[in-house]
Order: sequence, then structure tokens, then C-alpha cells
Amino acid sequence: MKKIIFVSILSGMLLSFGSCAGYLDMEHFFKDRLNVDSVFTKKDYSDQWLAGVYSQLQGENADVASKGNTPFNYISDDMFYGDRPGGDEYTVYKNGTYTENNKQGSWASCYQGIRDASTFIDNIDMNRQMSQSEIKDTKAQARFLRAYFYWLLIRKYGPVPILPVEGIDYTADYNALAVARNSYDECVDFITGELAIAAKDLPLNRSARYITRPTRGAALAARAKVYIYAASPLFNGNTEMSDLVDDQGRNLIAQTYDESKWARAAVAAKEVMDLGVYHLFTVAFTDTTQSLSQPKTIIPPYHAVYSENNFPAGWKDIDPFESYRQLFNGAVGPAANPELIFTRGFNQPNEGIDMMVLHQMPYTLKGWNTHGITLKHCDAYYMNDGSDVPTNPRVSGYTANNTSNLPLPANVSLQYANREPRFYASVAYNGSIWDNTSAKDADIGKKFTQTFYYRGESDGKQASSPAFHIRTGIGIKKYVNPIDSWLIGGGVVPKAEPAIRYAEVLLIYAEALNELTKSYTVANYTGEGSITVGRDVAEMSNAISPIRIRGGVPDFDASIYANADLFRKALKREREIELFAENHRYYDLRRWKDAPVEEATPVWGCNMNMTKAQRDLFYEPVVISSLPTIFAKKMYFWPISQSELKRNKKLTQNPGWTYYY
Amino acid sequence: MILKMKKYITIILLLFVSSISLFAQNTDAEITGLITDKNNQPLIGVSVVVKDRSGMGTVSDENGKYKIKANAYNILIFNYVGFEKQEIPVKEKTVINVILNENSKSVLSEIVITGAGVQRKATVTGAITTVNIKSLNIPTANITNALAGNVAGIIAMQTSGEPGSNNSEFWIRGISTFGANKAALILVDGVERPFNEVNIEDIESFSILKDASATAIYGSKGANGVVLITTKKGEAGKVNISGKAEYGYKTFTRLPEFVDGTTYATLANEAKITRNQEPLYTPIELDLFKKGLDPDLYPNINWQDVMLKNGSSSDRATINMSGGGSTARYFVSGSYQNEDGMYKSDQSMKDYKTNSSMSRWNYRANVDMDITKTTLVSLGVSGFLESQNFPGLRNDIWYSLVGQTPVSIPFLYSNGLVPASGTGNKTNPWVLATQTGYREYWKNVAQTNINLDQNLKFITDGLKFRAMVAYDTRNENNIDRLKWPEQYNIERRRDRDGNLIMKRISTESLMYQTSSAYGYRTYYMEAILSYDKLINQKHRVGALLKAFQNENRTTSLTSTDIISGIAQRNLGTSGRVTYGYDDRYLAEFNFGYTGSENFKKGSQFGFFPAVSFGWNIAQEKFVSDAAPWLSQFKLRYSYGEVGNDNVGTRFPYLSTISANGIGGWNFGDINNTNNYNGLHFEQVASDNLSWEVAKKHNIGLDVSILNGLFSGSLDVFQDTRDNIYMRRSYLPVMVGLTSTPFANVGKMQSRGFDSQFNLHKKIDAFDFTLRGNITYAKNQVLKYDEEEVSLPYRMTKGYRYNQAKGLVSEGLFKDYEEIRNSPKQTYGEYLPGDIKYKDVNGDGIINDDDRVAIGATREPSLVYGLGMSLRWTNFDFNIHFQGSGKSAYFISGPGVYPFSEGAWGNILTAVSNPANRWISRSISGDPATENTKAMFPRLSYGGNSNNYRESTFWLRDGSYLRLKTLEMGYSIPQRISSKFNMNNVRFYLIGNNLLLWDKLKIWDPELGSGNGMTYPPMKMVTLGLTFNI
Repeated sequence: MKKIIFVSILSGMLLSFGSCAGYLDMEHFFKDRLNVDSVFTKKDYSDQWLAGVYSQLQGENADVASKGNTPFNYISDDMFYGDRPGGDEYTVYKNGTYTENNKQGSWASCYQGIRDASTFIDNIDMNRQMSQSEIKDTKAQARFLRAYFYWLLIRKYGPVPILPVEGIDYTADYNALAVARNSYDECVDFITGELAIAAKDLPLNRSARYITRPTRGAALAARAKVYIYAASPLFNGNTEMSDLVDDQGRNLIAQTYDESKWARAAVAAKEVMDLGVYHLFTVAFTDTTQSLSQPKTIIPPYHAVYSENNFPAGWKDIDPFESYRQLFNGAVGPAANPELIFTRGFNQPNEGIDMMVLHQMPYTLKGWNTHGITLKHCDAYYMNDGSDVPTNPRVSGYTANNTSNLPLPANVSLQYANREPRFYASVAYNGSIWDNTSAKDADIGKKFTQTFYYRGESDGKQASSPAFHIRTGIGIKKYVNPIDSWLIGGGVVPKAEPAIRYAEVLLIYAEALNELTKSYTVANYTGEGSITVGRDVAEMSNAISPIRIRGGVPDFDASIYANADLFRKALKREREIELFAENHRYYDLRRWKDAPVEEATPVWGCNMNMTKAQRDLFYEPVVISSLPTIFAKKMYFWPISQSELKRNKKLTQNPGWTYYY
Repeated sequence: MILKMKKYITIILLLFVSSISLFAQNTDAEITGLITDKNNQPLIGVSVVVKDRSGMGTVSDENGKYKIKANAYNILIFNYVGFEKQEIPVKEKTVINVILNENSKSVLSEIVITGAGVQRKATVTGAITTVNIKSLNIPTANITNALAGNVAGIIAMQTSGEPGSNNSEFWIRGISTFGANKAALILVDGVERPFNEVNIEDIESFSILKDASATAIYGSKGANGVVLITTKKGEAGKVNISGKAEYGYKTFTRLPEFVDGTTYATLANEAKITRNQEPLYTPIELDLFKKGLDPDLYPNINWQDVMLKNGSSSDRATINMSGGGSTARYFVSGSYQNEDGMYKSDQSMKDYKTNSSMSRWNYRANVDMDITKTTLVSLGVSGFLESQNFPGLRNDIWYSLVGQTPVSIPFLYSNGLVPASGTGNKTNPWVLATQTGYREYWKNVAQTNINLDQNLKFITDGLKFRAMVAYDTRNENNIDRLKWPEQYNIERRRDRDGNLIMKRISTESLMYQTSSAYGYRTYYMEAILSYDKLINQKHRVGALLKAFQNENRTTSLTSTDIISGIAQRNLGTSGRVTYGYDDRYLAEFNFGYTGSENFKKGSQFGFFPAVSFGWNIAQEKFVSDAAPWLSQFKLRYSYGEVGNDNVGTRFPYLSTISANGIGGWNFGDINNTNNYNGLHFEQVASDNLSWEVAKKHNIGLDVSILNGLFSGSLDVFQDTRDNIYMRRSYLPVMVGLTSTPFANVGKMQSRGFDSQFNLHKKIDAFDFTLRGNITYAKNQVLKYDEEEVSLPYRMTKGYRYNQAKGLVSEGLFKDYEEIRNSPKQTYGEYLPGDIKYKDVNGDGIINDDDRVAIGATREPSLVYGLGMSLRWTNFDFNIHFQGSGKSAYFISGPGVYPFSEGAWGNILTAVSNPANRWISRSISGDPATENTKAMFPRLSYGGNSNNYRESTFWLRDGSYLRLKTLEMGYSIPQRISSKFNMNNVRFYLIGNNLLLWDKLKIWDPELGSGNGMTYPPMKMVTLGLTFNI
């Protein structure tokens, strides 16, 4: 018996010696490193985590940035660029010869942002240093961001997989973690649902220190944007896209038209308007010229109503040109801008708006001289009385001096005379003046340079540098501040990104109302009330007219409001003008299914082969053969990368694009 | 822990000292006698000692007579190699004549060292090879080089011959995982220690544990097999001193052979002309190369002659002493070895040497002490100091040697300036070897283990307890003292005055130093409780329980990484239960329950069981009656699981959060900048990891005929390795990770067999042994982390690990007609005489989709050896062949592809033979030279992307057979040696790697080198002497 006890004791000692788990416990070495607990219990680390999520909004996910990040701003029918590499990058996009590997960075950064946002949402409740309201706010921000990443994905790729909110289990088998695409409507329901939840906890306003954080208005405006896309022809009863299916053959684009989708969009826009927080940005009327770059207000032609009333009923007390120009050129910061609903602020370290400006600027002023607009877009701007610009025949003749046709300087084609103020704030016509007021020292003489694009001029077509001339002879002024200069000693005013502004919400509201044939009652975002909408002409005009008055042009005629087709056409043109160079046109033409016509029409422009002596011929429109235009069905949606299709076997490709071999 | 250990050591040393004084002295009488064998022949040199009286011993003289003092209560022990030991009590006798019986070594009594201690071979059920150290005649420092072809179950290859780097890589039963850890576990005296640092003369036994049943006891460490080494211990008896001295002369087995300057220039011209380009050299220049009239502008250098010696030396000496009484015994040894490299040195530099070399001093002391009748304490102390030397820029030498053409530069310009083709690895090879300073590397290691063996028979018979504590430290240091001279190149013309136009390539660098150090210490502790008993002469039962802890800690820390400062720890419990009935039916159960710090709390422990069975058929009565000549016929089977916790990364279950790899955000307005860094998972946690598990089957057969005339064994195995760790590199991007997690996703199976036999016959003075062994192992990847592709042959899955893949060559294009009628090749322009590839997928285009599995793997799947030993009177002769097969690799690089890098890259002599290359008829004037079966395609200058790519055209069979050892020895007759008080004196001559038969023919195939830029293995002749006092 004793023996047995002895042997058992000895064995027991051996067993405990060989299995004392404390010997293997190394976690105490790591307890002072950052881990999920230490990050989310402390305020500063939580904010840093959230900053990491925000950082995914940069680069290819930017709404407005230069073409290296967002070529979509340039490859529709209104803008173009001529550089990169050897001038054929634009051609690749426009000919549809880009591949499944082009511009896939946003797929990765969106989904990384989605995962990190989900981690934040799941863990922030454990924070011990944030107040309950801070936790609610930051959680709502993360929720907004997650939804916004999905929105950026569906805008570019069409329907995408909505991942489980806790994130995909990366430890699962490759087959098990394959996820199929959700239908476009499912994506929309998820995104708008999440934005509604976020809106409840987000504040109405942000201080200047936190101006790039979303507000309730940002969440609601993004929601309206998502809804208007979902109501548009591309996604609403589009049988042409019956071949966009998931791995089970299920249609991902709604095959039957549902008018109530427009009503949802209208209500969502109305909810932003009803917040009462936003209004259009205006600059006051001035009758004194302070400097060449700050001229006195050019008063639009007399209008019985608008000339007599203050904004928004009229333009008596505002300067339409400066109102539109200063909205974009950095003259006003985001915190002081009542129109800005959501902005990434100044968070685009490269290929941002300053780079856009650099590429718009003339060669002689050390710019790249390569971004321009098509003649079609140039002609879209109204005359200052609201009429169309005559194109057959075009206005001939030139300004005689600097004062005959303000704001035109001397020797400028009269085609550009008497145009609406937004034209002058947006278009660098042949002979326009670049202010460059910050230029110093050696280049001081280049301030207020009048730039011509005639052949033989330094900024005209050059055999030696074919990529660097404005192909149509019509450049871009939007985002340019008179101060901006890349000349010696010059500086560029930082410009906040206008991701969503109030004018767009107003346009969404009017567009959606126009499509309604009866009235709809839709629950509001809190689910606690409802709003009824129908095609109410007064409501539509209330939304549109301030935009036009701010731009110095009269509202549309009643005949246009009376006819849904005419109004639709006018609204599309209004979006083209008002939202120019803000990365809308490419997506708008697609959602309206107008791209097959608009993007396939040849690009016209001035005849860049003509010298100053042949300036009449310069203005004789020609087809710009170096700017091709084609539209194929595959160009509706960006392709999904083949490597991603390989890795996620349930993923299906967009129509017209290929799988891997 | 260290303090505690020091205390133990002190106590043990005290015990050791006091035990010496325990010996008592009584009155002694002189005893004499004659020692003979059964045939009445006197035996010379028989050891005669008095039991329990240390140092009291003698040997019999040349007439077989001995004299010794002893008292009546003493016991005399007579011991002689090859004979059975006898113990005779003195009592009242003064003359004791002894007849010693020859050792009738029964097969059934042979022993095997297993993971749980010594076991009789007859009862072993696992797959274990015990190696006879004496048959490994290796006069090199490196025991690993003797494994291939000598040990069944080992696949090995030697990939360098440079002193200090000439170990063989080896794998037990081949490579059976593609995970981070493919290497076998090496245990020296039970502690994990490097293999090739043990002095060979110190090794007592050496076992390879191959199957799960043999290795289960090591739990998480035994998945790739285990090598067990035990060192010698002292035996009671007179002092036994033996020594060995060797001197060897060695030279390369094979170097690539390159053409001379004239041939080089002629071929370069052909390469240009055949591609419709201007020839590189005019006829006058060709003549200048040939006549050597202008060695500055038109040199003709054989760089191998300039840089390499014809031969170098290596020497070794070792001496050891053993002895002791029955209460304390010792084995003490010391050894020295030195190997020199093959680089020439600059005679003018006497301050330091630049040639590569390695020297090592080993020592060892093993002391066993019987503290009580049942308690044995053993102390083992060993260590070594090793130093190595290399030329300063050693890593570039072989690249430069293969690349430097004979006409590129002279080795010194006539104006005394130093030439160079370029910087870095294009430096003049002579400069690299002699003028770039030197690198010193040394390591010192001290190893200590203390064992306690306690026989617990006072509790119950057969119960034993054993404990061990081991503590090892290691230091490694590198000092690189580097410099280089000012170096020049010249224009290919002279100036107006006929002087050379010098262009400086690099400025002089005076000597500067870089250094690094590395070290670690290991602490190991184990305790074993075992029980063995034979019940009723039929039932043999055994049980064992073992517990261990292991800690490894890096001692030279410069890293800021927290992980590097954390000791690596393992612990576990393991055990076995054995049962044997009448030694006929055997069953064994083993298990390992081991823990690893590498996994999350809660999943740190793994349980690894194994079972095995054995059936000694020859012991069955019906068999022994029918075939009495069949001494042994044993069938074995085992199945078990073994684990592996080495992921390659430590603590993969932890995540890292940092700002690395993610941007931040400015929340503020332009005048209110409010920047925050971003945070994210820099590395996500892989907290679902568990063990890589090997599931091993083994069927074995042991046969012995006529009590050892023939013996052999055959083992067939299948090892399925599951849950192999891999990084998951193909997660969809939409998972949203910025780092790749680890997972247990891979699976691999390897199958094969290993076998050995031994034929031994002794007829009077003639002793003959023939032995052979073979190992074959082939693996297949069953699951691998990879992307799905539509062409299954482009995947890793389904093929061998490291399977060679490439295009299939269909020879050379005959003419343009054939080119027009063949699928389009997409790798660049091609002409007749260029390589034609097979369109495997039939799409009419040759591209990477036509790459398929071709040939085998670089590592051989088959290794075999065949040897023979003869002994006749005092002469002995030993011959051993070793071969390997099922190996293939691509050859490539500037030394293989002619002129692929233009003026860089030497040309193999094989190219210069017109029969070996395709030559356009417009050059040779003979259509027959457009040989579409030639070894080299149409020459080209400056690379050819169609020809020079991985394909069967450049795939070479790496199999070979070599005469690994040839040994002749002569022992001085004992009657002569005993006059010098020597017991045994033997002279011998050993040749290593003397002959080689292979298919590669360019350089030594065992290197597995694709480009020849490697220091080859050595051919060596060694003269040696051993003696025994």
C-alpha cells in the first residue's frame, strides 16, 4: 500500500512538473503594448483608431481630387486631361481599353475602412475616458464612415457584397469566407438604414476643430444621394442589366420600375432641408473695385423680380460671380461655409485640389496646362439673361478693350461675352487673365497675365510637348484663387474638398419630385413621423431658383416646370453647370443612362492649329481627334479585379468584364 | 534557477571528492596467471583489474601472462575486446589461469537506444536505426557529411565545401512538411544541442528515431524525427588511454571548366555574327589574345589558377582517457582539428591570413559516481572553442570567379594598378580573395549536465527514477575587417604616347570593422520514473513517465522587439507502457502531452499518442522448428501522431496595433489644424492556431539469419502532415486586412521506405562484412495556400514540395519553316537554332501557362550506400559507395548561359566543342553543324529571353554515385606494440570522394547548385594513426 502511495505521489509530482501552464504564460510581457482593450478604453487611442478609419477616405476614395486619384472627374463628357503617360491615359479610359486591374485601390481601402469601422463600433462602448455622448457621437461617426465606404463602392462598382457587421472571420476556410454580391437595393437599404441610425446620434454642427467629422446633415444628405441613385434609370427597372447577377443567377439590379424610390429620395433631401442648418453661400454686392482681382459686382441684366429683391428672392444684395467663385477657391473655410454639408477638409496629401489647379494653370505661369473642358460643356453655360448661347452661327468679333464687355479683357472672342457669372468662375476661355497675385520677385511681372491658346503662343499647341496644351482651347478656372501662383514666391490657397454641398441636396429634391406622378407618404429617418411628397412645381422651384439666382440667372420658365421631360432636361443641365468638376457628371450620365449618347458623341473644341493671325479660324469648331469618345455597356460599372474574383469564388463580375483564366 | 543549479553542482563535487577516500587498503598478495582463448592461444593485452579498487590494474604481456596484487577478498575482472568479461574471486589462490570465451554476440541481446533509454533490439517495435560509429570512417570535422549513404532513413546533401560551412543538410525520411521547421530534433545526452559540434570520438551511440512510436515521447518536437547521441562513459578498469592523429590533403572534387581567352573571343564573335551583329574582336585582336603580346589590353587569364590553390590540408588529433573503480568512473577527452581553405593568399601579407579556415578545440569530461548502492550521479561537462576565418568579401568570390572572363582584365596591370570589371561582386576575384581584409568568426560553447539515477528497488523491483538538469551556453562572434584597394579599368585603346588610359572604378577603402554577436543559453530539466519487470518469465511489462521543461534565451540582445527578449519555453509530460509476452508478442503505447508558449492560453497543450505492435515470428515454435537458421523475423507496425509548434513567428496569437501602414486625419479647418495619427492592426492575431500534426504509419521487418550472418531491416512509411502553418496570402481584399494572418492550412504527405542489410562472416583470421542501405522518400503537397487557377498544373497542390516547373523543350528550331509552322513563343525574338517549346495547353501560344512540372526536386528523393569491410590478420580494408537519385534542378546564370550578360560570364568548355552547340551553316559552312539536338542553342550576346528560361532544356539530373570512402589500415601486432606499452596501434590511409559518376558533369552534382557559384565539396586523402594504452 505504502509503495503504491509513494509511486502515485512521485507520478503526480512529475505530471504537475510537466504541465504547469504558468511556465508558458508570456502574456505579461505584452500587457503594456497596445491591444484592443487599451486602445478602446482610452479616449486618445480611440480617436486615433477612428482617424485611421477616416484616413481611408483619401486617395482613390476622395470625392474631389485630381485625376491620379479620381479620373472619374475627368473622363466624362465635360472635362479632359492631356498628360500622363505620354498623353494616352485619358484615351485608355475613354476608349474603354482599361483593364480589370486599373484603379482598384478603392476596393481595398473601402473594405479596410469598413472592417476598422466595425471594430470601432464593436468596442467603443468599453471606453472609460469618453462621456456617453462622446461614445455615441464617435460610434455614429464610425457608422457613417462604414456606410459611406459602401456608398463609394456601389457608386463605382454597382452592387457589392455587404459584409457581416462583425467583419468576415479571416480564420475561416477560403470557401467559407467567400461572400456573394448583394443586390443593389439590398446595398441601398443597408447603407441608408445605417445612415439613419448614425444621423440620430450625430450633432447638427461641428466646431472648426472637428469640421471634417460628419454631422446629422451629412448623414442625411449622403442618404438622399444614395436614394436618388437607387431611383435612377440605371438601377430602377433596368432590364438592360438583367445579366448582372450573383453566383445563384439572382438579378442584382431591380428589373421592375418602382416610382416610390424617387419619393424616398425626395423625402430624404427634404429632411436635410428641414434641418434648417444649411443655406447657399453668397458674397455681398459691392460697387467698388478694390483691386484687379476683386472687381466690383457685375450686375446681371435687369430682371423685374430678381434685381429688386435680396437673396434668395433676388440678386440685389449679392455678387453672383464671387458667390460661386469663392465657394471653391479657398476664400472661405469649411467652418464658415453654410453650404458645405460634408468635406474631407484638407486631407489629401497628394493629387488633391491644389494639383488640379496646378494642372489647369498655363505653362507660362509654371502650370501643367493640361486640364480643360469640352466645347459642349462651354456651350452648356447660359447667357446672362438665361437664354442659350447662339451656336449657329456663333457670335463673331472680339473685345476692343478691357472694359467694353466686363469682365472680358481685350482681344477676347465675343462668344464669351455676356455669359452667366458661373461661366466666368469656371471657364478659362482663350484670353482670360490669370491673376497670380502671390507671385513675387522675379516673376512679379507675370501677375495678371492674359493667356492665349493660339498656335505659336507659349500656352498653345507645341510640337515639343504635345501633352501639355489645352486640347480644346478652353481651360478651367474653377478652384483657382486670384492669389494662387506656382511662380517664384507664390503660394496656393488651401481648398477644402466639397464632397456634399447644399445645392446638390436642393437639386436632388427637385429631380426626385419631377419624377413623381402621384403623391407618396414616406416615413422619416427617425421612423417617428412621415413626409408626403408629390410633383409640386412650387416646391421644385423653391429648391432650384436660389441656385440659379445665386448664379445670377433667372429661374426656369413656367413652361419648363409644367413639363416633366423639359424639366428633367433643364435639371440635368443645371447639375452639369452647378456641380461642374465636383466628380458628379461621370456618375450622373451613367445613372440617367445618358452616357451611351453623351459620352459617345465626339469632343468638339477650338482649332488649336490656328495662330493668332488666324484667330477667326481658331474659333471655327473642330472635332478633337486626340480625345476619343466611345461608350460600351461595360463602361457603366467599374470592373472587379480578377484577383479578387479568384479569391472570393462567389463574387460575380460586372457585365462586359472578364473573369480570370 | 542558475543559483539552484550551482548549489547542486557544489554538492555533487563534494560527494565526488569524499568518495575517493572511501577506498580501503588491505594486505595484498601477488597473483599471477595465463590468459588464453578456447584454442589455448595466449591473449595479449587483456585488461585485469581488481574490482572496486580504482587504478589497480594491469594487462597481459605478449605471452598472455599477467601479474597483479590483490587480497583474498578481492575479485579480479578480466576484460578483452571481443571476449566475454569474467569475474573471478581471489580467495586463497595465487595462480589464476583464465580461459576467455569469445563474445557470442547474440542478435537477441543487441541493444538499441530509444527515447526512453536503452532497450533490447528484440523488443523494439518502433522504427529506429542505431548507427555503428566505427563504420562511419570520417576524417572530417563534420559528422553530418557521413550520414548520407550510411544511415537508412536519412536524405542528405552537402551544399558547400568551404571550411566552416561544409555541413550537410539532412532530413529524416526526406522533407515531410513545407512549414517553418523541417529539421530533425537532435539530442546529445538528452539535451537539444547541435549535431556537428560533437567530437566524433566522444560518441558512444547514435540512433535515428523515425516513426511516431519512437518519437511520440518528444511531443511537439519530434515530428521531423529525432537523432539521439550519447557520449562515452568511463568503465571500471584500468586507465584506458587512446589517441588518434590524422593529416589530410584535399582538393576540389570538381570545378567548372572554362575556356581560355582565345576561345572566349572566338565564341564571342560567333555569338555576335550569328545574330547579324558586328563581331566583337578583329582578327588582329584575336591574335593578340593568342600570343599574349599585350597582357594589359588583351589579357588571357585563368582565374581559377590565379585564385585557387591546388590543395590544402586538414589535421585532427584527439586523446581520451577513461577508467575508474566501481564507485566512480570517468571519461575525459580533448581534441583539436584544423581545416584550411583553398584560396591563395598574397605572400606579401604576413600579418593576417585571408584564406578560409576552421579550427576547433573540444573537451569533454563524463564522470559517474555511485553515491549509494542504488544511487548514481553522473556529471557531464563539455564544450569547445571554434574559430573560422574567411576572406573579406567572401560572399562575392564565387560569383566573380564564374563571371570574370579570361579576357576581361589582367590580375594586375603592368603599371601596378589593380584592375576591376566593376564594383561589388564584379571585383577582380584575386582582389576579393586576397586584398579585401578578413572575417573572423568564433564561437564558444559550454555544456553541462547532471544526472541522478536512483534505483527504487527498495520500493519495488524494477522501479527506477532518473532526473537531469542541463545548462548550456553559447557565444558566437563575427568581426569583419574589410578593406579594398583603389581599382581601375582601362579604355580598349592607348593614348597618343602608347600609355594605358586608366578609368578609376573605385577609390581605396582603408580597413574598417563591422561586428556582430549572437548567443543563447539553454536550460533543461527532466525527470523520469520507470518500471520494468519480467513476471513469470513470460510477461515483460514496462511503464515510464517523463516530465520536462526547456528554456532557450537569447543572450546578445540588440533588438527593440519585446519578443526577442522573451525566453522560448516548452514543457511536457510523456510516457509509455510496454507489454511483451515471451518476447514474441509486443505492444507499446506512447504519448506526449506537451505545451508550447506559441499558442493562446487554453490551447497551449497538445496530446500526441502512438501505438505499436511487434511480432517475433521466429520465436514461434513452429517457425523455430522448421527454420532454426532464422534467428530473427520480426514484424513491426506503428501508428501515431506527433506535433510541431514552430510557426516561424513567435506569439502569432497576439495582434500588433500601431500607426505603421495607415494614414492619419486632420479633423480641423485650415486655421485649426487638428491632426491625429491613425491606428490599426499592423498584424492581426491568429488566435485559432494549433499544432502542426504528423500522422505516421510505419510497417517494419527485421530479419536475421544464422545468428548474424545476414541481418537486415525494411521499413515502409507514410507520413501525413496536416495543419501546416502558412500565411494566408490569398484572403479576398474585401476581408479588409492589411496584414496576413497565419493558419493551419497546409497538408502534405510523404511516403517511402528505408532499408539496410549487413552480411558478416568470419573465417579464422578473415573477417568480411558487406553492408548497404537505401532511403526513398517522396512527398506530395495535398493542400496549400494558393490561388485557384484554371490550369491545375500551375498549382503547388498535387505536386512535390519544391517541384521543378518549367517549359518543355522540343529541341532547337531547324529552320524558319519550322518556326512559321509552330505555336508562337512569347518570350522574345527567336531564330533557327533557338529553343522550341511545347504548347502544353494547345492554345497556339507559348507562355507561362505552358509551364508544367518537369523533373524532380533539388533535394534528392533517393539516397543509398553500399560498403564492404575486410579484415585479415593485421590488415583491414574498407570501401564505401554512396549515391543519390531522383534529384533535378535548373542550371542557369552567367557561367551557364553563354554571353547572357555580355562581357560578364565565363564560357564553359563544353560550349567550345562544336558538337555541343548549334552553329549556323553560314558560319561553319556545313549544314550538319545546325544540330537541333545540341546541348547549347544558337549563341547570342547579351542575353536571350527565349532561350534562357526555366525549361527541360536546362534541367539537369542531379543523381550521382561516388566512391565516398576507401580505407586501408594496418595494426601493429600486439606482441610488438605491447613492448611500447601500447595495446593497439593502427596506421591507416583514407580516401574520401575519390571517384564520381554523374550526369551533370559541370560541377559537383551534390551541391544542387544551379550556377556553379559555390565552393565545391572536397576530395581528400588522409593518413592517420590510432593507439590505445
